[in-house]
Amino acid sequence: MTTFAQNLSSRHNQANTRDLGALPSVEYDLVRTHVFASFVTLVISVVFGITVATKFSFPDFLGSHPWLTWGRLRYNHTQGIFFGWLGNAFLAFFYYAVPRLANRPVLSRKLGWLLFWIWNFAVILSGWVLVAAGFSQPLEWAEFPLVVAAFVVLAFILMVFEFVLPFFRARPSDMYVSGWYIIGGIIFTMLAYPVGNVVPNLVPGARGAAFSGLWIHDAVGLFVTPFAVAIAYYVIPATTRRPIFSHFLSMVGFWVLFFTYPLNGTHHYVYSAIPMAAQKGAIVASAYLGMDVILVVTNLLLSLRGSSGLASRDVPLRFVWFGVVSYLVVSLQGSVQALMPVNRFIHFTDWVIGHSHLAMIGFASFIALGGIAHMWQRIPGTRYNERMMNWSFWLLAIGLTLMVTDLTIAGLVEAQVWQSSAPWIDSVRAVGSYWLVRTLSGLPILASFVLFWTALVTGPRSETVTSAVRPVAAEEIVAFENGSAAAHEFSWTGWLSHAHVVAFGAGVGFFALSFLVLAIIPGKELEHEIKRVAPVTMATLTASEQRGRVIYGREGCAYCHTEQVRSLAADVRRFGAPTEPWETKYDYPQLWGTRRIGPDLSREFNLHTPDWQLTHLFNPRLVVRDSVMPPYPWLFNGSANQPTQEGLDLLAYLQTLGRARQLSGFDQQALASSVQPETPDMAITGEPSARATPPAVPIAMMGGYSSSAPVLHPASEPADLQEEVSRGEMLFIRNCASCHGPAGKGDGKASASLLPKPANLTAARFSDQRLSSVLWNGVAGSAMPPWRQLPTEDLRAVIAYIQSLHVPGAASSTQDMTTLDMGKSLFAANCASCHGDTGAGNGSAAGALSPAPTNFHLKKPTQERAWDVLENGVPGTAMPPWRSQLNADERHALVTFVRSLYSPAQENSTQ
Amino acid sequence: MINLIVIAISAIMFALLLVWWRWPAFRAWIEAPKYSMLCQERRFDDQRDEAGNEPVVDGGHA
Repeated sequence: MTTFAQNLSSRHNQANTRDLGALPSVEYDLVRTHVFASFVTLVISVVFGITVATKFSFPDFLGSHPWLTWGRLRYNHTQGIFFGWLGNAFLAFFYYAVPRLANRPVLSRKLGWLLFWIWNFAVILSGWVLVAAGFSQPLEWAEFPLVVAAFVVLAFILMVFEFVLPFFRARPSDMYVSGWYIIGGIIFTMLAYPVGNVVPNLVPGARGAAFSGLWIHDAVGLFVTPFAVAIAYYVIPATTRRPIFSHFLSMVGFWVLFFTYPLNGTHHYVYSAIPMAAQKGAIVASAYLGMDVILVVTNLLLSLRGSSGLASRDVPLRFVWFGVVSYLVVSLQGSVQALMPVNRFIHFTDWVIGHSHLAMIGFASFIALGGIAHMWQRIPGTRYNERMMNWSFWLLAIGLTLMVTDLTIAGLVEAQVWQSSAPWIDSVRAVGSYWLVRTLSGLPILASFVLFWTALVTGPRSETVTSAVRPVAAEEIVAFENGSAAAHEFSWTGWLSHAHVVAFGAGVGFFALSFLVLAIIPGKELEHEIKRVAPVTMATLTASEQRGRVIYGREGCAYCHTEQVRSLAADVRRFGAPTEPWETKYDYPQLWGTRRIGPDLSREFNLHTPDWQLTHLFNPRLVVRDSVMPPYPWLFNGSANQPTQEGLDLLAYLQTLGRARQLSGFDQQALASSVQPETPDMAITGEPSARATPPAVPIAMMGGYSSSAPVLHPASEPADLQEEVSRGEMLFIRNCASCHGPAGKGDGKASASLLPKPANLTAARFSDQRLSSVLWNGVAGSAMPPWRQLPTEDLRAVIAYIQSLHVPGAASSTQDMTTLDMGKSLFAANCASCHGDTGAGNGSAAGALSPAPTNFHLKKPTQERAWDVLENGVPGTAMPPWRSQLNADERHALVTFVRSLYSPAQENSTQ
Repeated sequence: MINLIVIAISAIMFALLLVWWRWPAFRAWIEAPKYSMLCQERRFDDQRDEAGNEPVVDGGHA
């Protein structure tokens, strides 16, 4: 039967004086194999993702083995989706579509199998194993180690031969837009991938981050997007049997995408230390990209005109349609969230995670699934279960919608808490339920993928699917014939016949321009700035600190903790002065991070004691009850106070964060000389200037003793006091009990590994002044942090509760003058140098001691506590045991004297 | 830098629109691939129909 299309094809041939010849061969084996590999890796990657999500709600889940820790699974989740799922799906599409688009077979079947083995075994499987074993890079979308990255580059070079060469044998003027996207995606990813993976290891800190930012966006813009759009442009006309709305618009969209996408990268580092010109350039390019996507999506949706019924009936087309709509939504969302007024609020939050899932599932995966389903029906001998495919679509749509909605709201909640002065852990608590919903939303998504796979191996074998679709409309044929003749004439006579070559050159030019304007020029500026202001005393990391940095990277710490304080008042208020470029001059690679589950760590130096850090690493919930940070027991020999060398190395690295800045006195120098760092405060009008904020005392962080701590007094009315005590108990259990124990006896879970031990709050009567000071400033030299980020009414309630814990000790048995005189004499001889003559903790040696000696007028130990201290000392402080130097009578006399300083009556006073 | 990006992309857009407006033959030329793609797709389908739904061209390289 001579078909309509054959007629059309024949006339087309005549018009173009070109013989299409025999159909090229198609490597269906490779299509099937890559589809199979894509689903195996997809399911594994999604299981990784669901496990990672589960750990937010149950942080100890699978937490005892390093291969299954959050950070490593997170790396493997995203790399698996990127290379395993999408990479294999795209390769399957290439084998199917390139012969059709180029009218040439792919270069070589053997090369195809070589590429398959390299991609799946040298890249994906090896990458997963190496990351799980602790060999990785802490670089977004570049987590596989460099040895794997080399195979990725090799694979892209092979792709050029396998898929791009066939197009070069055809005339560019005949090339359909999908072919352009395939060529562009392969070539530009091949160029961009080494830059994102290698350069940050050679160029440190802020300068390296400029390159990392490019790759973060290029991974989506030059790999995921072009191939997904290529599939959409292929499946829509192939299903509807109607040409796309406008090939001209499709080519405009194609070139603008390749012009602008590489220029977007730095929008991941808005308000950072990267020069503002580069940031603003990226923001403008993001706006252009949004406009381009509107153009592309409009063209794609107009290509479905008159076929809306088909889009609802044909499941593969429906997948593609959903992906196209998601493409519009996620791209506009991306353009908006690059804008400074939005970025300052939602960056680092779960909003961005929702955005990335909308991009990778809603856009790329939906279209890839549609492409696979479309191809599969047309591959000889395959099975296809439409009912199951339909279920897969709805499960995926429901799961994704739930996930993105949930994460978007969670991001807004986090942002709201971060804008306040509430403790960081409050933001974690606030989104706990959202994280649980996110985990649950992963289940229908996983089920959808399994159903999709099942749909490809069950059901009837493929039949002719083209009979149900309409032929090309008659009027369009006439137009096509006329157009072909004109096009033929035009293509060989006008100088614009070289338009594609010119455009390709422009694309390469813009690609190079992106590195020039967003990385190289800013890098030079940063280099100059660093040379100008970096303190000469800034030391490089020691070997132990450097090893700790590697451990920090391999465990994925940078994926929850940023190391960059942005030039925003909210950041400065919470974490301290904005990060200066020179602070990162030894960071190979940069560890700025793009997400905050935990607080920024740029100013960690001196904020926590080593015992707190080690306890926190061993099991974070020992010191922060509601923390979702994973435990790292493999860095210890069974307990928090027995760290391995790796544990010590990581501790050493954590204690370097912010060290150079603090030790150099950079902020004091800057203030004294009125020389403000050059990075401008990019806060919008009305935003309190980040630079104008005194940088030394971040209100919500540790450190920074304030002598102006207010003295907070609990309520005096019994009813009010009782209410305060009740509320204080709740706050105490939430924030204090992990160290001080639920009854305040200093026997919390963390107490075993903290030195000095947390105070037994029942063993002394604390004055309002003392408790206010401790809660406001913490206790230097101990793990006790300041809590002044809590509202004062909360602090007052905690004070009320702590004072309610005190049980007055037994009254002093004897207070005869002889004993008191003896005690006074012993105190003057042995204790006054630290505690002062009057026991006010102000002896001549007190200034050098940390923690400071007790002021007995503010902290009034019970008789039992005073006796115990004299017997055993206070480990972790300068207070020694006295039982070997003083006999029992002398110690008894000392206890009697010390208690006489505040007297039993005073012990129960509030002052 | 912003000016550079804006000018460059705007100039390219303007040039494309100018070509589109000035040379009608360009329109036909640039639109031709969307038809040839469909023709090619149909050729594959026809070949598959004629072969009785069997794998007719599965590989081809030695």
